[in-house]
Formats: sequence, structure tokens, C-alpha cells
Amino acid sequence: MQLSVDDLNQPRDIPPGWGLPLAVSRTIDGVSIFLGRSVGWLILLAILVSAGNAIMRKAFDISSNSWLELQWYLFGWAFLVAASYTLQRNEHIRIDIVSNALSKRTRNWIDILGHIFMLLPLTVLMSYLSWPFFMRAFRSGEMSGSAGGLMIWPGRLAILVGFVLLFFQAISELIKRIAILRGAIPDPSPDHPAHQIPIE
Amino acid sequence: MIAFLIENMAPIMFAALVVFLLLGYPVAFSLSFVGLSFAILGIQLDLFHPSFLQALPDRVWGVMSNETLLAIPFFTFMGLILERSGMAEELLETAGKLFGPVRGGVAYAVVCVGALLAATTGVVAASVIAMGLISLPIMLRYGYDRRVASGVITASGTLAQIIPPSLVLIIMADQLGRSVGDMYKGAIIPGLVLTGLYLGYVFLATMIFPKSAPALPPEARSFGVGAEYSPVIAAILLPMALVLWGMILLFDPQLAVSILGDVAPPAAASLDAATTNVNVIMLVLLAGFAFLYFIYLALLRFAPRMLASLAAAILLLAALFVLWQAASALVEGAKALPPAADGLGGWILAIIVWLAGQWAYYVAILALAGGIFSLLRAPSRPIAAAVWKIIADLLPPLILIFLVLGTIFQGIATPTEGGAMGAVGALVLAFARRRLNFDLMRQALDSTTKLSAFVVFILVGARVFSLTFYGVDGHKWVENLLISLPGGQIGFLLVVNAVVFVLAFFLDFFELAFIIVPLLAGPAETLGIDLIWFGVLLGINMQTSFMHPPFGFALFYLRSVAPRERYRDRVTGKLMEPVTTGQIYWGAVPFVVIQVIMVGLAIAFPSMITHYKGTGTGINPADVEINVPTIGNTGGGVQLPDFSAPPPPSFN
Repeated sequence: MQLSVDDLNQPRDIPPGWGLPLAVSRTIDGVSIFLGRSVGWLILLAILVSAGNAIMRKAFDISSNSWLELQWYLFGWAFLVAASYTLQRNEHIRIDIVSNALSKRTRNWIDILGHIFMLLPLTVLMSYLSWPFFMRAFRSGEMSGSAGGLMIWPGRLAILVGFVLLFFQAISELIKRIAILRGAIPDPSPDHPAHQIPIE
Repeated sequence: MIAFLIENMAPIMFAALVVFLLLGYPVAFSLSFVGLSFAILGIQLDLFHPSFLQALPDRVWGVMSNETLLAIPFFTFMGLILERSGMAEELLETAGKLFGPVRGGVAYAVVCVGALLAATTGVVAASVIAMGLISLPIMLRYGYDRRVASGVITASGTLAQIIPPSLVLIIMADQLGRSVGDMYKGAIIPGLVLTGLYLGYVFLATMIFPKSAPALPPEARSFGVGAEYSPVIAAILLPMALVLWGMILLFDPQLAVSILGDVAPPAAASLDAATTNVNVIMLVLLAGFAFLYFIYLALLRFAPRMLASLAAAILLLAALFVLWQAASALVEGAKALPPAADGLGGWILAIIVWLAGQWAYYVAILALAGGIFSLLRAPSRPIAAAVWKIIADLLPPLILIFLVLGTIFQGIATPTEGGAMGAVGALVLAFARRRLNFDLMRQALDSTTKLSAFVVFILVGARVFSLTFYGVDGHKWVENLLISLPGGQIGFLLVVNAVVFVLAFFLDFFELAFIIVPLLAGPAETLGIDLIWFGVLLGINMQTSFMHPPFGFALFYLRSVAPRERYRDRVTGKLMEPVTTGQIYWGAVPFVVIQVIMVGLAIAFPSMITHYKGTGTGINPADVEINVPTIGNTGGGVQLPDFSAPPPPSFN
């Protein structure tokens, strides 16, 4: 279960004062969903690159480190950018053995405190630290250590982008949780969430 | 106070982790939070240098650049595409009919298809849902015990966890710092043994409670109008045997050597000597025969009778040619033979020995026999159509298994590349079935992306946690705790497995693999335990996390597709009772027990797994002595089975 854009898009239900925060949240969600769905295609691209590289290597004995690096750059961008989308969909895996027994209200509080004290500091710190990590590589135009490798800054940029997006998504989740607690929007989560993994 | 804190930093940190995980906040972020807060605490206490945190982006970078992890999205995507393209459905339908007349037949079919699907995709949900949708109604219709039926389906679905290419094994290899290829090689025999145990369970059930798993009634056995069960089986038998033999050769020539070694040692020796050449000959023969056979079937299926006869003639001619080749080789070989023993007896003996050496021709003769046999047994179009359908259903998974596992085992592709090839293969198969469209791709990619994101983020979180945890010597704390256990290796393994078994009730395998396994790797290595062996053991154990009532995911998946209310059966029109959740839970219990037995077997016979080190005949006795963990003097000297090929025969 997740909040869809339509659920939130009902001005008559929203109490005064909540319009702006919920609009912000809606915008962030929209961006996360759009980006998360888009980067899925990078995985398809990575599959094609990897299979193509394997065939070329075997059939014509041509191999290049740039192809090998390209595939994990693609996947890196995919999973880092999709982390915020996964958060928006509430599909980051949880251990719900105890929390299933708690009330919805308590679970909401745990999420709020978790977003404030765990996720936001993590994303701020990681964004802060990965900026110089990226800039160093960008300024120097550093190439990867392996022969024929790619420039490394596009890969490092993914870390920065991923955590910045995750920071914004955390803000959006926080707004939604508080709004739910205040009764500004309905709680979309079921009474006993069986935590859902799509596969495996 | 501070001294106490510094002294016991590792246990406190571990306790904090447990508390935060239990809160139910996403695991990935809880892990990083505990890691980060203790890092800051450590910096305050002067345990760490303030620049300690600078290493964090580099940790993420390390995870990102780990090429092996790419196998996770690749195999997931492949599994999702296959699930939607209907391969599982068709496989099940066919296998169910093949096994139908046997008591417990549908259950056997489910186990076998579960193993086949496991070897192609490694996705539990897809297997369980497909089998639950297709086989459960059939089993209920013909009066299977509901517990047996649901237990077999859930357990067979979880085979995907242990039979390569499973995601568990990839993650396990990554966490234990071993190669995925070795992990795969180590897991293949336990996976097959486990499949055998499941089959054994079905057999036992049919023996003790014959009514719990009856055979299909005669009216349900036919392959269609005019294609009764037995002529179809007769027509399919030889071609299938050839296809299987071809798969074994493609997969692992050394395995073929060892199989032959039991039957015909000289043949094994000659095969070993000229593996590649013989393989090429064999493959050409096999492919040629299969090709002609397909043409024959296709013509029989689609063309007028006359063309079919023409094809039959061509087939016979080809077979004759093969036989002629074999015969001339026979003459050549006979000429080359030294006039060995005296008299006729000696000649016959020599020819037999020589024939055994020319095993390739056996297959040629077999092909001829198969051709004639098929001609005799597949005379009518409906039968040809049935044979065609069976082969068409069984081949795609076999091709995929070769694409993925074959290339990995033969060292042609890395596991990552194998996954990519498999994903491309799955796309091609879906396309061939005309099921590939934009929407399918988009959905599959969407699920793949989310799964990858949460898995890799747990890994990132675990790395952040371990950075600090190792910084405060947490690994040494765990190591001391575990090494001091009585009983050495075996004591350690028993305790660890017991703990994992209990944790599996509450945690799923991602959590176990990322949080527990890295802590155990060090102590296991210190005790001299082979980490591949250890990983496979834990993999088998963690498989139970899918079946443990009440939280096992496989049980949820089956629940979601099993009938909850009374329904009218589509075929018989009878009103059927629903399957209760209790029945699903009870059905899983025997399989949890089997799982425990399997863990015991894998501990008792490590060579099931450690054979990965020596490929085929190449096991060096000296190696075995050093590397294979011996069980030591655990009462009466356990005889370890030898999975290597027997020593080359000598003819003195």
C-alpha cells in the first residue's frame, strides 16, 4: 500500500495549513516515481551490455574494461536513484515481527522518529561526504585504474544524486506521516501489514 | 562507566542493533544508523580518528563496483519475464501428464518442475504461485491430501533458493568472500539430493497413505484425442534420453566421464582422453539426429502423409549413414587390434573391449534405434503432435539451464554474464511465445529495480555497520564467543545452524545473510571450515525461512493463490472444499524436517559440497587431505562418499 498522487489530490479533505507541505510532498513523490521508473531501463541496458560483452569476448576475443565498467555504472545509477522510489513505495524491507503487534499510531511514530533520527542524518551526511568525493574525481578527470577504463566521476555522481534524492524523499515521507498522525490525510496502511516483497 | 563502555563496545553495539531492527524501521537504514552513531561515539571516545567517516562514500563505491552483485537484478529480471511468459505453466502441464499414471504422479511432477524452474530462474515466488495455480486444483480434483499437496508445492518452490543460480548463493558468496562459481558448484549436488529427498517423501506418503496421493484416473491420462498415454511415452522416451545425454555432455563432459566410468570404464578412459574431439563428434551426431527428428515430427504434424514418409526415409538414410560410419570404424579398429588372445574367444573379447571404447558409436546406434523406434511408435498425427508439444515444453528450460549454468560451470561466462545471457534468453523465449510486450517489460523492470534497490541498500547499510563494528573489534568478540564453543568444528556448526534455524522463523534470508553471515565467516575460517561448505549449509538452512509457519513467504505465496472458499471444479463439476491456512502450515512441517535432515547430511558428508575444488577426475588426494574438513573421530569413522570419478582403469 502506498499513497498515490490521486489520494492526496483532494483539496476538500485537506485541513487549512496542510496545503503547502502536502504539495511539496506530492511533488517529491512525483519526481521519485518518475525517476525510479525511468532508471529501470538502465538495468535492461546493463543486461544487454553484459550479454553483448560476454558474446564478444567469447566469439571474437574482444574485451574491454570500459564495457565491464559501464554495466555496473548503469546498475549503480539504477539502484541508487531507485532507492527513493522504493522508499516512496514502502518496499524497503522491515523486520515486522514486533511492529505487527503495535498499534498503527505507534508504528507511525516509529516511522517519524526513524525518518528524523536515522534517515535524514544519514542522507545529509552521505550527501555532504560524497560531494567532495565526486568533485575530486570531476576536477582531476580521474580515470579508473584498469586499462581502458572509464572516467570515474559519472559513477560517483550517482552516489551524490542517490542520497540527495533519498533526503528529499525522506522529507516527503515525514510530511505524510505527520499529516496522517494529525488526521490531515487518511492512513493508507492496513491494520496488519504483511510486509511485502515482490519477489524472492 | 566510560571504561566499561569502551571495554564492551561490541556487545553493546550488537544489542543496539537488535533493538533498532526490532522497531520495524527499514533494515537498511537501521543498520547504517547504528553504524554511524557508534562511529560518532567512538570518535568522541577517541577510539577512532575523526576522519573515520570520510571512508563512507568509498564504501558505497565499493558496493557499487562489485560486479557480482549485478547478477541479482539480472536473475530477478529473468525470473520475472519467465513467470509472465507462461513457461512454468506449460512445463507443469506436460510433466503432470508424464507422471500422471504413477501414484503420487502430480506431486512428483511438481517436485521435478520445481527443481527445473529453480535451475533456470531462482525466484521462489514465481515457482510457488505458478505451481499453486496450476497443480493445486489438479491435485485437489483427484483427491490428494490437502496437506501433502500444499506442502509439496511450497517446498518445491523453495528449491530455487538452493539450486543454482539462486540469489541466496550469490549473496552468500559475496558475504563470505568466495567466488559465486564455486558456490554454485558446491550447491548443485546438495540441491539434487534435496530434490531426491522431496521425491522420497512423496514416495513414502504414497506407500504409507496410498489415498493421500493417488494416480490420475485413466480418463485424465490422455495427451489428447488419439494420443493415448502409452504410445506417446514410447515415442518420446528415446528422443528424451538423447536430449538428456546431450545436456549432460554440454554441461559437464567430466560428469559424463564419471557416469560412464561406473558402467564402462574403458569408454570413460577413451572419453577422458579425447573429451573435446569426441564431444564435437557427439554433438554433431546428436544435433543432426535431433534436427531430423524434429523435421519428421513437424512434417507429421503439419504436412501430408507423403511428405512425412519422405522425411522418414531421409531419417532412415541418415541413420544408415551413421551406422555405416560406425561399421567402417569398427573394421578399422579391428584391423588395428593386435591379435591378442587365441581363438575366437579372444577376438570377441577384444571387439567388446574396443566397442566399449568407441562409445560415441553406441549413441549413433542408439540414434538409429531411436529413429526406427519413433517411426514405429509415432505413426499417427495426434501422437506426433503430443510428442512435439512435450519436447517444445521441455526444451526451453533446458536451453536456459545450459545458457546460464552450463556456461558458468564450463567457465565460459562469469555468473554475472550468465545472468545477462539468461535474461536475454528469457526475452527471446517470451518473444517466441508472443508474450513479450512493452507492459510486461516495464512491470518486470519496475519490480527488479525496487528489489535491487532494497537489497543493495541493505548491503550498503551492513557495510556501514561493519565498518564501525570491526573498528571496535566486534568480529573478534563474536569470534571468541563462537570459538570457545565445545566440540570444535562440529560443535560450532551445530550451534550456528541451530541459531540460524531459529532466527529463520522471524527473519528472512536477506536479513540473515547480511547481518548474521558476515559475523560467522571469520570464526568459521579460524576453525578451518571450508567457507563454500559453510555457505551451502547455511543456504539449505535458510531455505526453511521460506517454509516456517507462520511467516514463511512461500506459505504466503501459496495462500494467495489457494482457494479460500468453496468452489465448483472446472472439470468434474463437484463442489470442492477450500484449502485452510492450517492445512498449508501442516503441509510444510514435514519439509522443514527434511531440511534439517539435509543440513545433517551436508555436515556429515562435506564432500557433497567440497567437490567443487577438484573438477571431475582431477581431485588430487593430497588436496583432499588438506582442504576437506574431516569429521574426525566422531564414532566409528564416517565413510565419506566419493563424488570424483573412479581412477582410470588399468589393463595389466
